[in-house]
Amino acid sequence: MSHHHSESDDDDYSYDDDPELEDEEEEEEEEEPRSSRKKRGRSNPDPVGLRGKKRKPSGFIEHGEADLGAEDVGRHRHFHEPASFRSSRVGAEEYLDFMQEKYSNPRAEYEDDGDYEDGEPTHVDQQALLPSVRDPKLWMVKCAIGREREVAVCLMQKAVDRGSDFKIRSVIALDHLQNFIYIEADMEAHVKEAIKGMRNIFANHKILLVPIKEMADVLSVKSKTVELARDTWVRMKLGIYKGDLAQVVDVDDVRRRVTVKLIPRIDLQLLADKQEGREIVKKKAFVPPPRFMNVDEARELHIRVERRRDRMTGDYFENIGNMLFKDGFLYKKVSTKSISTLNVTPTFDELERFKKANENGEIDFVDMSTLFANRKKGHFMKGDEVIVIKGDLKNMKGWVEKVDEENVLIRSDMKGLNNPLAVNERELCKYFEPGNHVKVVSGTHKGSTGMVVKVEQHVLIVLTDTTKQHIRVFADHVVKSAEVTNGVTKMGEYELHDLVLLSNLSFGVIIKLDSEAIQVLKGVPERPEVAIVKHGEIKYKIDKRMNVKDRYKNFITVKDVVRVTEGPSKGKQGPVMHIYKGVLFLHDRHNVEHAGYVCVKCSSCVLSGGSYSGADRIVDSFSRLGNSKPPVPPSPRRFQRADSGYNTGAGGRHWSGRGGRGQDLLVGAYVKVRMGPFKGYRGRVVEVKEKTVRLEHEAKIVTGKLDLRYTHTWFAASTPSFSNMGSQTPIHPSRTPLHPCMTPMRDSGATPIHSGMRTPMRDRAWNPYTPMSPPRDSWEDGNPGSWGTNLLYPPESPYSRAYEAATPGSEWASSTLGRSYSDAGTPRDANNVPSPYQPMTPSSASYLPSTPGGQPMTPGTDLDVKSPDIGGDAETWLMPGILVNVHKAGEDSNAGVIRDVFPDGSCVVALGDRGEGETVIAIQREVRLVCPRKNERVKIVGGKHRGSLAKLIGLDGSDGIVRLDDTLDVKILNLDLLAKLPHA
Amino acid sequence: MFFHIVLERKMQLHPSFFGRSLRKNLVSKLIKDVEGTCSGRHGFVVAITGIESVGKGLVPDGTASAFVTFPVKYQCVVFRPFKGEILEAVVTLVNKMGFFAEAGPVQIFVSKHLIPDDMEFQAGDMPNYTTSDGSVKIQKECEVRLKIIGTRVDATEIFCVGTIKDDFLGVINDPAAVA
Repeated sequence: MSHHHSESDDDDYSYDDDPELEDEEEEEEEEEPRSSRKKRGRSNPDPVGLRGKKRKPSGFIEHGEADLGAEDVGRHRHFHEPASFRSSRVGAEEYLDFMQEKYSNPRAEYEDDGDYEDGEPTHVDQQALLPSVRDPKLWMVKCAIGREREVAVCLMQKAVDRGSDFKIRSVIALDHLQNFIYIEADMEAHVKEAIKGMRNIFANHKILLVPIKEMADVLSVKSKTVELARDTWVRMKLGIYKGDLAQVVDVDDVRRRVTVKLIPRIDLQLLADKQEGREIVKKKAFVPPPRFMNVDEARELHIRVERRRDRMTGDYFENIGNMLFKDGFLYKKVSTKSISTLNVTPTFDELERFKKANENGEIDFVDMSTLFANRKKGHFMKGDEVIVIKGDLKNMKGWVEKVDEENVLIRSDMKGLNNPLAVNERELCKYFEPGNHVKVVSGTHKGSTGMVVKVEQHVLIVLTDTTKQHIRVFADHVVKSAEVTNGVTKMGEYELHDLVLLSNLSFGVIIKLDSEAIQVLKGVPERPEVAIVKHGEIKYKIDKRMNVKDRYKNFITVKDVVRVTEGPSKGKQGPVMHIYKGVLFLHDRHNVEHAGYVCVKCSSCVLSGGSYSGADRIVDSFSRLGNSKPPVPPSPRRFQRADSGYNTGAGGRHWSGRGGRGQDLLVGAYVKVRMGPFKGYRGRVVEVKEKTVRLEHEAKIVTGKLDLRYTHTWFAASTPSFSNMGSQTPIHPSRTPLHPCMTPMRDSGATPIHSGMRTPMRDRAWNPYTPMSPPRDSWEDGNPGSWGTNLLYPPESPYSRAYEAATPGSEWASSTLGRSYSDAGTPRDANNVPSPYQPMTPSSASYLPSTPGGQPMTPGTDLDVKSPDIGGDAETWLMPGILVNVHKAGEDSNAGVIRDVFPDGSCVVALGDRGEGETVIAIQREVRLVCPRKNERVKIVGGKHRGSLAKLIGLDGSDGIVRLDDTLDVKILNLDLLAKLPHA
Repeated sequence: MFFHIVLERKMQLHPSFFGRSLRKNLVSKLIKDVEGTCSGRHGFVVAITGIESVGKGLVPDGTASAFVTFPVKYQCVVFRPFKGEILEAVVTLVNKMGFFAEAGPVQIFVSKHLIPDDMEFQAGDMPNYTTSDGSVKIQKECEVRLKIIGTRVDATEIFCVGTIKDDFLGVINDPAAVA
């Protein structure tokens, strides 16, 4: 009766002889109701319901019966098989006839072909077979767990014993349903009677009626069995081969076993050890990688390899132990239950592997066509270009005209083929031509798009749009598309090109996301290292904005364009996408690897072009260039300039002498602690570590040293020197987020700087020096004598070194014409001079020309030049005839006179103070105005009086007092607008 | 392929540029804005050859923007690559996947699958593709004649895939070899 059920059962069942047992018991069950059913069957011309379902496997009964005779399972029978049944076995033929008669129904043709898969009734027919109210009902009876089968068998026996007065029609024990059996009967009373006195059945428990609607479900199979055919791709479900792709070589339907071809995972050494009876150390959870068996290798390990001929197929196999090998593949007989056949889509790599061992070296179409089995509905769409891959029309190309279930009507442009041809879907494959833009819709590369560069039969080589890599995909997995994506660009909270922290504390940029894994280009500048991680291995997304300095201490922020000057990625260039821990991730569009990302150390890069934060300025107006000068943040050039501006003197040497580590710049700076417990203290920086600064405390003459946590302490420029330096050092407040001028919008930043730092500078000892700062050229011939007092500083004093380097000392003197010195020696200074051993006093700081002191000079000029915003009328432009400093990347800065200005902002500059040198062309950002001194001739480069010539008659903070030549009006203008004129 | 076409653009101009040189300013701004850009539809704007007409400036409603909009019709030369087109290009980058070449503003990638099979990739300082007999070498700065087999047109970029695996295609000039 319940053959159908038993059949479906088998599929879930993992041991082999049980199905037979089951078949048997069910058949025997059949025995009893036979007679009654027979009558009923006639009375009921339209057998419905379970019977309808059960009808189908009647072909199977044949097998079962045959098996029973042949197989040793027969012995089970002897335990419980009644004589009556045996007698029926005698005439198997008779029995069959009988069964057929019993189950005959209007659609008997299905019974003829044993293979009910093929003759599957249509949907409507199936509907007619569903149970109705007139059919026997199904009752659910509770029994002991694990005794379901036993109970069923017992009932069967009982039925046999009791004969026709036993009214139940069938018993069903489902393997996946524990604790219950189903009994088919017309009335509950019949069920009760049947189970009366049975062991393992809880008779007092309520017998539940299965609603008619659910009856079909009881017996339906969850997943449709896919017929196993040769060459089908399957996956292993169990053992070390779990998940591996296998190809069906042979199918034994009767024994429900298949022979599959696998790439063996065999540890030869282990095998050898085993054969020789050596101790085997059990390595847990070690699965050898799949490798083709090399018989010679095995022999070398003294593994016995026999070559035998298979009786059935006549092929030769290498036998090792009881494993069969051929061409390196393992041929394994497995139960149909231990392989999964549904939705097996071999990946390209897997197929390649299988192909590799094939001597003919090609996946032939038979293999390929098996791949098509899992095509989705609607695979072909009208208009798709297809190629026939099988049959007479092989290699004919055409366009899909219409899709009918399995047949596809295609139209070909071949002559004489005017009418569309109907071709089976399985004989078609999508066709693409090189140059087509496609999107991958399934497989590992699902979601990515690209252009077909080559077609190799059914495999396309696609150049992906974003990664510019070749991927190999099946033509079948691809559709034409104009869309451009890089496949998945978002996975959870992580997006492509995000900077992420991995679980092992390394970090990197996501360069590829796919369904299984995330590829991360790790932040290792030495070599490109790609880690493939799972989603869970990413700790979080790093979303910090940081600034670092390049090789020349230019500030780099995200989006700045940098060039790599050393290391493995030398020559790469592109915008900085991420900065983390001194490592930059650039995106070089010419770099085809790693989605264009390059990981480099910040110190091996050079900022090329302007800083992004300043870029808008540069674009907007030349005048703003000035802004990129100190003490305003990330100005790349500033530093170079300061550097080179002083290269004859102290500054350059000072810095370079310190070994180029950026933070060293701070050493010697005179600072004031702005926050934390030491707030308000002043001192000189003696050491800078990564996050801490050691200060020499000013108040204590005996150098008291304080460790300050940078993280808690911000430094403010209490001296000009620091304000200058600060602009270059990351610790400077102007860099810190706390400080307003940190923001890229420099306009807002400029003012605070001035009010905060500049003014004090000027008010103090700084003021006197201001006028003399620009004329660096004249410094050399400064009067050393004026510095005599300074030289009193003991050589071991912190400044001495700086001092020596700081030729500016002399320069100062000259430029200030000595007067400046005494000026500088404001009352406070005066005190200092005689007491040179108090380096900490503010006055000394004010002189420290070359170290911190020297540098301020640059800023001095720079300060004056910059901050056009203060003036409000910030339109300064480079103009012919003014003196500028030209600084080209990698070169020293040179003074020169602008000869001509092009509309794009670049200008022709004649080098030399008077423009007597060679002419060069400089782009706007390489040019810096030279700040005029008092009583010098200037040209106004911005504002209302743009173009006018004037004389600088005084200075007031960042403003200069000028007397216009033509009107003799006295104007107060921002120094930024004043450009020095060359000496006449 | 080059085309000489008329395009229109709405130029926004700040009133500070008004005056006698308004038209000049408009044109220079137009040139600055448009030349060298790429639109998916028309390709790369190579040069503006003339101004057809400058429409009436429109002061936008409200006071939010000070800019005035002028519709400007201009003639320009555009360059748009097409599938099947033969181009001459300069190799800019060679790697194991193939090589990139540029024909003016257009970047063209020639996959190794589209390089004749007898040309092998040689890694090294100057990566190149060389025939087995060494007679032909594709390396950076080489000039090649190639055929475009596919284009991908984005809003602001045109990317092409080309082939040199066809008759009469390949290296036409190698400055390195001459030198």
